[in-house]
Amino acid sequence: MPENTSNQKSTRRSFLDLVLGASSVACLGSILYPVIRYLKPLPRAGGVGPTRLTPEELAKLEKEHFVIVPVSGKRVLILQNAAQEILAVDAKCTHEGCTVQYLPGESVIWCACHNARFDLDGRVLSGPPPRPLPKYAAERQEDGGILIVAERRQSE
Amino acid sequence: MSDSGHGQGWLGWLDRRYQITPLIEFLRHKEVPKGPHSMVWYYLGGMTMFFFLVQVVTGVLLLMYYQPGEATAYESIRYLTTKVPFGWLMRSVHCWSAHLMIISLVTHMFSTMMLKAYRPPRELTWVTGYILFALTLGFGFSGYLLPWNKLAFFATSVGTDLVKSVPLIGNWLLQVLRGGPDVTANTLYRFFALHVVILPLAFVSLIGVHLLFVQRQGMAPPLGAKVAPRGMRFFPSFALRDLLLWLVCFMVLLVLAVFVPYGPGIPGMDWELGQKADPLAPAFPGIKPEWYFLWEYQLLKEFPPHLFGLEGPQLCLLVVSLLLGIWAIIPWLDRQAQREQPSPGFSDFGWGAILFLTFLTLKAWDIGAMEPATSGSSLKVISRTCAWWTIGAGAVIIGIRWLLQSSRQSSPPSASR
Repeated sequence: MPENTSNQKSTRRSFLDLVLGASSVACLGSILYPVIRYLKPLPRAGGVGPTRLTPEELAKLEKEHFVIVPVSGKRVLILQNAAQEILAVDAKCTHEGCTVQYLPGESVIWCACHNARFDLDGRVLSGPPPRPLPKYAAERQEDGGILIVAERRQSE
Repeated sequence: MSDSGHGQGWLGWLDRRYQITPLIEFLRHKEVPKGPHSMVWYYLGGMTMFFFLVQVVTGVLLLMYYQPGEATAYESIRYLTTKVPFGWLMRSVHCWSAHLMIISLVTHMFSTMMLKAYRPPRELTWVTGYILFALTLGFGFSGYLLPWNKLAFFATSVGTDLVKSVPLIGNWLLQVLRGGPDVTANTLYRFFALHVVILPLAFVSLIGVHLLFVQRQGMAPPLGAKVAPRGMRFFPSFALRDLLLWLVCFMVLLVLAVFVPYGPGIPGMDWELGQKADPLAPAFPGIKPEWYFLWEYQLLKEFPPHLFGLEGPQLCLLVVSLLLGIWAIIPWLDRQAQREQPSPGFSDFGWGAILFLTFLTLKAWDIGAMEPATSGSSLKVISRTCAWWTIGAGAVIIGIRWLLQSSRQSSPPSASR
């Protein structure tokens, strides 16, 4: 009989331990979950879809042969190559996220951070980037304006 | 009761209420071990703490003018440095003290490593020191963004982007760190909170634990000497020397802050405000992080785009995490030092780490420092030559040491540390 009682006791105690442990974990979870959700920011609000270059951006493109504009929350490099074609690639280097630029003299896209080079289609020519720059569709319209379509195409 | 020793004075008054006699007795008998090694290494922890105190004071003063925000951060720092009386001095002292704190902290850590002061029973002192080191790097990294200038913007872009390579939670962690997918004003707010609230709270708490450990166990005696042959009284002998050193540090800090207010201008040590950050501007030539992150910046460049099925930055993060992980648990790995025996292998690991960091830092001096067309610039040639000479000379010295070691082991027992 005493053995039975002690067994019962230990069962009761281990059950209480289990309840206490589980409720502690649940309590901790209910505190941590809102904090974790709070820390992750909401997706950026803003227009999605084709973006038209403003007159200032067009003027910059004419002057410097490239301009970086926001398209659906991304930075996009719009460039005018030697043949006067308009090309658009993601301006965020695929290595460590620096903003790339167009070097008209060498006809390459260059990232100053780790000296990476891409061709005008976004393919890696040299340096450490592991992936090509995603491409955007850019078209010149009849009125001279430039429209960037947010849909991205992979360069390769 | 313990009111015997301090009579009716203010010490007696305190003692009757809080029983401080044991504390006074402890301080009276506290000694710093003296041995065959130089005692200079015992002052580095205190020196680091001095620079941290300067950071706290100047940081609080800077807070009175600094306004985080896309439209105000850069402007408030410009106002502070150009209009506020002695504002330039406060910022200059804060920046110089940060660099000197890192220099003294790194020296403190490497001296602890080389003297094997991490051996039992001081393993947790090493671990707390290691976390304090990580927090200090966090201070440097988060503070760098606060002026919201171009250089800071891109250095933060690169530094935070590495986080995305963490398996499973990389993207979540990146968004939490930046407050969004890219570096924006949200990143500035988060870094501000980190720099002025979260990190200081963590740092002060941990420094309390670190100092408590040092007080309870005393400073580590030289390897092999369980009990130090001689000791120096902490009060007043060591404390006065400490104080004198703090005074010298303060003088050096002030001279540097007054005469070189924007840093010496060498890569990674230049805090001219420059131009305001523009998220739509391309990264410019000359972009670099602070000198103590240059090694990582260069390492990211060294890795090829793909290796062993991983992307370059992923592999880079893996290698760095592995090395830092080993560094953290050295007290448990170094079995010879645990038995109070010399462990030259771990000394060489320490020297290897120094050579590795120096090599990458020297090599990094060319990156971003030139226009793309001038990739063969003299700066690049000089920095690369220095880097290779460092690694070459280091390898030769370690080789000679090993040869001497093995020839000594074949005759009488080794006495090397």
